Amino acid sequence: MELRFDKKKNLEEGLKFIHFYAEWVKKVPNEVWSKQQAELINSFMLNAKNFMMSREKYLEMMEKK
Amino acid sequence: MNLNYEHGKIIIENKIINRLDEFVLDFTKVLEKYTDYVIVSRYVVVLLGRARGTEDIDTIIRCIDKSLFDSFYKDFTEKGYYFLNLEDADGLYEMLEEGMEIRIAKEDTIIPNIELKVSKDDFDRYSLDNKSEVIIEGNHLFICPIELQIPYKLYLSSDRDIEDAVYLWDLFKEKIDRRLLKKFMERLHVKGDPHGIEI
Repeated sequence: MELRFDKKKNLEEGLKFIHFYAEWVKKVPNEVWSKQQAELINSFMLNAKNFMMSREKYLEMMEKK
Repeated sequence: MNLNYEHGKIIIENKIINRLDEFVLDFTKVLEKYTDYVIVSRYVVVLLGRARGTEDIDTIIRCIDKSLFDSFYKDFTEKGYYFLNLEDADGLYEMLEEGMEIRIAKEDTIIPNIELKVSKDDFDRYSLDNKSEVIIEGNHLFICPIELQIPYKLYLSSDRDIEDAVYLWDLFKEKIDRRLLKKFMERLHVKGDPHGIEI
């Protein structure tokens, strides 16, 4: 199978979701969006504790970025 | 989102504070004892509702003198933070003087971290002079004005940055100073209309 990646179409799809998400955030009370956001971010933060890279490697990676 | 935006102040009531917010609020409470600061870029959109993580919090500070930096270094170290860069206080201060960023995290962690740099151009200085105060659940922090944040994100121009710009536009288009937004878009030579940011 040959994969074709259309960068422009990918951005358009991303922006469609952003419009949809922003409208939802504007519509619901703060408790609702922030509760869902907290669940996601807290799980990222928990996972970050298992980050095994040394600070030297991390800084090297960030410099390359 | 129940969001009150007036005269550069953003009030978000009843927000559930997540662990990333806690990390940033704890850090900025100490930082503001030493200098003005403003948070820019990725964390700004997370704070304002986008559901995604960020590993570093981009923060701009005003230039501080060496003795104040020494106190800053000592205070953060005593409070359980460490500097990821392999430098002592003198070396870190030199890095800031040379326009480089330094990174600070809680002990035994790398992510999240604060990426701290000293203001170096007119946009950084404008952000500090006109910072927006965000009030959440009795806490406060300072972010770059939305009118500059949107063009800056477009200027960075990765897909993720464009999405962030569009998200902020969708959220604030009825509230922001469009004349000011247009001015910054012209100065940064960016266009919003291809992405629906029409001013």
